[in-house]
Amino acid sequence: MESSIVITGSGIISAIGCNKETVLQSLLNKQTGIGSMKHLESIHSHLPVGEVQFSNNEMKELLGIDQSKIISRNVLLGALATQEALLESKITDLDTKKVVFISGTTVGGMDITETYFSDMLQDDKYLPYIGSHDCGTSSTEIMQLCGISAQVCTISTACSSALNAMIVGAEMLKRGEADIVIAGGCESLSKFHFNGFNTLMILDSENCRPFDATRAGINLGEGAAYVVLERAQDAEDRNAIVHGYIAGYGNRCDAYHQTATSENGEGAYLAMLDALKTSGLSSQDIDYINAHGTGTGNNDQSESVALQRIFGSKVPKLSSTKGFTGHTTSASGSIETVICLLAMKHNFIPANLGWNTPIPDGVVPSIGEEAQLENVICNSFGFGGNCSSLILSKNKPAAKAVGEKRKWQVAAEVEITQDSDLSRVKEYVSAMEARRMGKLLKAATIASQDALKIAGIEKPDAIVTATALGMMETSEKFLNSMIVDGESSLSPTLFMQSTHNTIGSSIAIRNKCYGYNITYTQGDESLEWAMRDAIRLIENGQAESVLVGCYDESAPIFGGLLKRLNGKEPANVYSKCLILTAAN
Amino acid sequence: MENLINTLKEQIIDVLNLEEITAEEIDAAAPIFGDNGLGLDSIDALELIVLLEKNYGIRFSDPSEAKQVFVSIATMAEYISKNRTK
Repeated sequence: MESSIVITGSGIISAIGCNKETVLQSLLNKQTGIGSMKHLESIHSHLPVGEVQFSNNEMKELLGIDQSKIISRNVLLGALATQEALLESKITDLDTKKVVFISGTTVGGMDITETYFSDMLQDDKYLPYIGSHDCGTSSTEIMQLCGISAQVCTISTACSSALNAMIVGAEMLKRGEADIVIAGGCESLSKFHFNGFNTLMILDSENCRPFDATRAGINLGEGAAYVVLERAQDAEDRNAIVHGYIAGYGNRCDAYHQTATSENGEGAYLAMLDALKTSGLSSQDIDYINAHGTGTGNNDQSESVALQRIFGSKVPKLSSTKGFTGHTTSASGSIETVICLLAMKHNFIPANLGWNTPIPDGVVPSIGEEAQLENVICNSFGFGGNCSSLILSKNKPAAKAVGEKRKWQVAAEVEITQDSDLSRVKEYVSAMEARRMGKLLKAATIASQDALKIAGIEKPDAIVTATALGMMETSEKFLNSMIVDGESSLSPTLFMQSTHNTIGSSIAIRNKCYGYNITYTQGDESLEWAMRDAIRLIENGQAESVLVGCYDESAPIFGGLLKRLNGKEPANVYSKCLILTAAN
Repeated sequence: MENLINTLKEQIIDVLNLEEITAEEIDAAAPIFGDNGLGLDSIDALELIVLLEKNYGIRFSDPSEAKQVFVSIATMAEYISKNRTK
């Protein structure tokens, strides 16, 4: 099967513009989109944000949807960016092709849930809204709004979600599992994650200043971006315009901490190294790096070290574009990929807005300049140490030989479904660690450690996680306390443990697994998607062993709502782990 | 001050789920962070900031500011007694 993957369309919506043309103008004019809150309602309105200028109603109008229909802002953003991408690709026969939509998000339908939370508890009329709370459903709704019949898959690895969506898409195309992939991510601002980041005390009350010595944190942003991916031969056959090649990528885990990055930037270093290796390019071939550069003390220091470890004293031109868009979290990987495509096409390096004073021994970003860009790196790192890196090229990368598909086997399988089993977690963790674990993390820890023990594997090469609803208990506690007690004195621990990738990354941190790490969330199909990925990794020779897990739980309030809606409550706790290994 | 120290110990045990430690077992002079004392970490520090805000009306704008106060339970109690607004 053809190994070169091309981008034949892209779409973007963000604080600096609602399509590629307006985003380009803002980038060239060095015009930031960060400012005062217009749509988000919060008591912390002194904190600047990067909001998309459209209201929900304006977006509904653009999409031709009835204004009275309740649709998540996240879905509206996603649909607009998807439409722009598809329009540019000029694909006319989508219905005859194997189309896969892969979207990264963490917020899902949270804006609707938080708005109608109290109403849902009291009135059945509002109940259906809980049905669109989960990330998987929000991706399905994007396809419905765009009128496309596609396989839908959602990736939730916090701030690297969208980049990982593109990586999975490229892999599926290479193996013929899809003919057309629409991949990227969306994230609208929600009160939930805005307050969550605020509890971590990493939001700057001024405009963010990535890589600056005086940086004081993040400005959260929102937006969506998608790319249309195809095999190069298919694109050529239909005379499509190629906007760039996906030349290489790496997905790694920092395996260090749920919300902090390691001082030596191990995960970021390994992700960039893998991206270079798979692209066949050398470090000198890279003309520009769109850094993750969030503006926190921790990320920018750690990313600087990772860059210097790869490039030595010859770090290519780089910038973080978060000073334009804000940190668009799960969407940042695809938003910044589209920014890279614009930079490559129009021969410029986007400015690192807000930068003035270098970090001692840190990297020095560009303040914006003209440049011919052949190969660029886009970095995207998330909570839990989910670090990914993508290389885009103007020219077709050298063809790679594809090896024989290897066989795989299940070396161990463990299920933990009973509350009574959970006390066994002390076999694997100290009391100090266990005190922070809810039932899902306990069940996941026991099942994964048991499975590794049975398989006789100390550390798997990859960790692939599936969850339909994620960390329901902690999410519900955080949400409930925000709604009932208000937006102050919220618990940082609850927020830190609310992202879907909390489970997979905690297993990685425990076992020091720096390998491939990803989390799928697509309702009942989550495990199936995870298995497909794990099998790909083994068959392609990218891993000798993969820990696949499926984890879900119920919680008092969400569980009650889902029971009223569907007639049945999710299982109290469910954890299943499989170890896949290469077979002879 | 003794009372405040004891209340604070109970509050910390509760908010940080320190299930296996009792207030009597905590040495008020021992370091809060690191292995030689309570063994708390940076996430606990953020929870302690919330605790001080919620119970004593003390606000920190920067975690590093709080770090100087969070040396031991005794230093925390001293700071609280001087700066509390509730």
